[in-house]
Amino acid sequence: MTTTSNPVPGAKGAYNGFGADWTPTKLTDTEAKRATGWVEAKIDKRFLLTGRDRKDDVRDIMWQLEKDGEIKVHRVADHNEPVIAKTLYGWDKKIPTNNLWHHKSCGQCGNIPGYPSSVLWIQNQLGIQYLDETDQTSCTAWNYHGSGIGNVVSLAAVFLRNFHQAYVSAKAHGLPEGTYYPLVHCGTSFGNYKEIRGFLLHSAELRDEVKKILAKLGRLVDGKLLIPEEVVHYSEWLHVMRQRIADRQTIDVSNIRATVHPACHVYKMVPEDVIYDDTVLDGNRVAVTTGLLQTLGTQVIDYSTWYDCCGFGFRHIIGEREFTRSFAIDRKIKVAVEEARSDVMIGHDTGCITTLDKNQWIGKAVDKVYALPVMADCQFAALTMGAHPYKLAQLHWHASPFEGLLEKMGIDWEKAKAEFVSYLDEVKAGRIETLYDPKRAITSGPGYVKPPKALQGA
Amino acid sequence: MTAHAKLPNPPISDPVSDLPVVPYEKLEEIFEDIRKHPVYDHEIHGCLNCGICTATCPSAQYYDYSPREIVQLLWTENLEGIYDAMQEKIWACAQCYTCAARCPFENSPGGLVMIMREVAIKHELPSVKEVLRPFSRVLLKVVSTGNQLAPNMITKEAFPDWGPNVAKVDAPLMLLRKAIPMPTMHTLDTAWEVNLKTSVELYTIWEATGVLKQLESVDENLFDVVSDVMEEKRDEWEEWLEDNEDEDDD
Amino acid sequence: MSDKPILIVGGGPAGLSAAHAAAASGRKAVIVEKADRLGGAPILQGYAKLVPSHEWAKDAIGGMVARVQANPNVTVLTGAEVQAFDGAPGAFVATLKDGRKLEVDAAILATGFTHFDSLNKPEWGFGTYPDVVTTVQVEQMISSGAGIRCPSDGRVPDRVAILLCVGSRDRQIGREWCSKICCTVSANIAMEIRELSPKTNVYIYYMDIRTFGLLEGDYYWKSQEEAKVKYIKARIAEVTSDGNRLVVKGEDTLVKRPITIPFDMVVHAIGMDPNVDNMTLSAVFGVGLNRYGYIDKATTYAHLAETNRPGVYVCGAATGPETIDDSIAQGQAAALAALTGAGVPMLKAAE
Repeated sequence: MTTTSNPVPGAKGAYNGFGADWTPTKLTDTEAKRATGWVEAKIDKRFLLTGRDRKDDVRDIMWQLEKDGEIKVHRVADHNEPVIAKTLYGWDKKIPTNNLWHHKSCGQCGNIPGYPSSVLWIQNQLGIQYLDETDQTSCTAWNYHGSGIGNVVSLAAVFLRNFHQAYVSAKAHGLPEGTYYPLVHCGTSFGNYKEIRGFLLHSAELRDEVKKILAKLGRLVDGKLLIPEEVVHYSEWLHVMRQRIADRQTIDVSNIRATVHPACHVYKMVPEDVIYDDTVLDGNRVAVTTGLLQTLGTQVIDYSTWYDCCGFGFRHIIGEREFTRSFAIDRKIKVAVEEARSDVMIGHDTGCITTLDKNQWIGKAVDKVYALPVMADCQFAALTMGAHPYKLAQLHWHASPFEGLLEKMGIDWEKAKAEFVSYLDEVKAGRIETLYDPKRAITSGPGYVKPPKALQGA
Repeated sequence: MTAHAKLPNPPISDPVSDLPVVPYEKLEEIFEDIRKHPVYDHEIHGCLNCGICTATCPSAQYYDYSPREIVQLLWTENLEGIYDAMQEKIWACAQCYTCAARCPFENSPGGLVMIMREVAIKHELPSVKEVLRPFSRVLLKVVSTGNQLAPNMITKEAFPDWGPNVAKVDAPLMLLRKAIPMPTMHTLDTAWEVNLKTSVELYTIWEATGVLKQLESVDENLFDVVSDVMEEKRDEWEEWLEDNEDEDDD
Repeated sequence: MSDKPILIVGGGPAGLSAAHAAAASGRKAVIVEKADRLGGAPILQGYAKLVPSHEWAKDAIGGMVARVQANPNVTVLTGAEVQAFDGAPGAFVATLKDGRKLEVDAAILATGFTHFDSLNKPEWGFGTYPDVVTTVQVEQMISSGAGIRCPSDGRVPDRVAILLCVGSRDRQIGREWCSKICCTVSANIAMEIRELSPKTNVYIYYMDIRTFGLLEGDYYWKSQEEAKVKYIKARIAEVTSDGNRLVVKGEDTLVKRPITIPFDMVVHAIGMDPNVDNMTLSAVFGVGLNRYGYIDKATTYAHLAETNRPGVYVCGAATGPETIDDSIAQGQAAALAALTGAGVPMLKAAE
């Protein structure tokens, strides 16, 4: 069937290396070329999807509601130094890059502390202003998705309470309201907040219910609900900052084969708001993390279960562990190792990193030893910028074996570990190094230190 | 064998079962609660039965669970099938929302499952307590502190399949926590230090949105513990307010 | 009614048919075609054998082109576009992009459609994996004589999957219509693949099979009975690759199990979008668009071809997904409407 001995006119179409198995049509050589030539010339990508008439952008409702005096929109302002990114349908999304309010992730802080500390450390390196404060709750959505305890109203009230605090927080340090813009660390918080923002904008009843509660808490602005112009994930911040990060890179990672695990709640929930960048995999996959890794010079390797979730399952990680570890090992870790020969798997969400990292150990019991390091994009980026693997990237909390990866990156992990162990003596003696002045973290109540009089009421 | 398989069988329409049949009125009541949920119409619009949701569903790979079946049962108002699915199947969903991202009709089977879970809790279906038992530590943490996870919850006893060491550097947990360069994270009981006022505000939200009532129905003991913590924190906050009233010059 | 020519915009099957009908009845017609030659999608995009005749597109549509070109009543302007269209029925003036002006009696919009761009469904792998192709590309492989080969390395595929409803029946991307022709076209392509390459197995993944009317027997049944094409009721979730072959994830909804299957080639049965130029056409000709973005018809029953502007008519896939043979029929209907001034009240009053 693969005879190429008798080439015919028209066989030299767009497809190189083809023979001719078929009696040709009466097309001439030029006609055939013209017929297939268009295949190479792509139609303007996503051209038809950029029109607002096909897909509703919830932000249009938001602006209308603000015009009608119903809500107030917390804008990504000039002092937040926004960078425009393109979303799935080619819409613009404003990513704030400075004066950020860190909306932490309970799973990260409880379990993978190097995750948030890497974000803050990178921001210190780049001279970014931020606030990490104690007046915040988690989004409570892990619990909701896992147990069913909670509801749309409670999720919405928690969401707007946190974002209101982000808006007013700067006052505690004598700075104007709206100085800081919330940067959401957790993928589930990010997805949940975007979904709830949509529900709020679509439903006057929900707004009424939530407004009553926030009024009780004193969490309205001019008597109105405060809705964020954009809900922004830290991975989006990394994405728009990727070149500036690469500019400060000190470690070559061009020999590293990385697989990316994209998080469901980051790019499958409210997909129209997710960044797709023509310069990253031709815009065919979510751009965050992959774009950063490519800019750092890492080899990003595709694999067949790229679209699969990690197996976290919200309640499964607690109550259906067999599912979680089977899924994590068989459908992600094993594939990344055997198919992609990956040196590391990089993620951008709390539950995924935990699941993929912690569940490898038990694989030994069934002879599934894959030993794939798993970490967040920000940890990897911080390492390439010279961050200390233990003191800053806090890799000792990871169960997967990252030591080999560090060696491949030319980092002496044994020396670093020894440094960290001796740093623990310093900590014991109360000489703790922090990324910012601890006094700033408390903005009200016990422990709050008011700013000097001169700065108050600014 | 999964935990689901160990749950009691739902007592509906089984000709050889001794258990009483669930009255039709009860089935209708349950469906009404689902249908009237504020986001129900947002999550279901119809169904082409194309199966893209089940195709991409992680749970369908491991359980007798199919998001397409959930949508079909709801859309065709199959009351007995809905009740049956609410016993076990809805708890198999991993809440990844891949189904919703793929559905050509823009249904959200994952969102529908959440509605059914809420209604299962409201009706105190037999499966609920069983399913939520392992989740009680998270529930306690989130309702009382607003954090869902804390460093002292990650122990080798709680997660024996995660390996012998919580961290690769052997040191007391609090010491390791203090070696994190973010001061808000020098904690054990919560993932980060939570402002007292924040917790008090959160309790108001729980009360106003019926979350405490939900909690009481699934786990009375847990509810009692949470109530005590709430009272304590509120007192603490009131005290602080009183102490600082004079200093407050605003 | 004047004796000025009838303007026909678009030289595909519908426009060719309208031009022929008008000219055959003794009127002059002017075809304004954007491309450098006549024939429309079947010729410009290199279709192979057409449904339902099994004739080669070049022969069938080529015949229509030749017929019109040979007719002294028809003037053909290729590489031309209408920029403005003013006046009233019986006395319209069409201004072309190059400044030429045409005085015409009426206009027929036979402006066709645009194929859905598969890049808009990135999870189905087009643009990421070279062996994911579209039905149009397979048509071209066949019509160019290249044969069915995997673009990545030229091998003859063992297993080919055809995914139906790509860019159709999909609210995620704002396309809430059935493109009407893809089921039959895919069955046809499947049979052609099997004929060209008997060792290649073809599987069609569908939501519903809509080989309407008599096409049921000649395509849906015949493709199974004679060509052994397999139909699986499943919408595919994602197309990925394990480095060697494509990997396709679906649920066989009738058997009720999720499935993951390897393939050598995946074919997107791409749907029919409104012509990308419809917004411009709408503004130039003063005709309305329907909520899907196609040119709106004024009436359903009275006159097939009326738009909301008297004296401007429409036919073929400009109005929605349409087959070639129905487009041809609509072209004739539009010509009749234009010849009789259908829907032009002023003319009736004058008579």
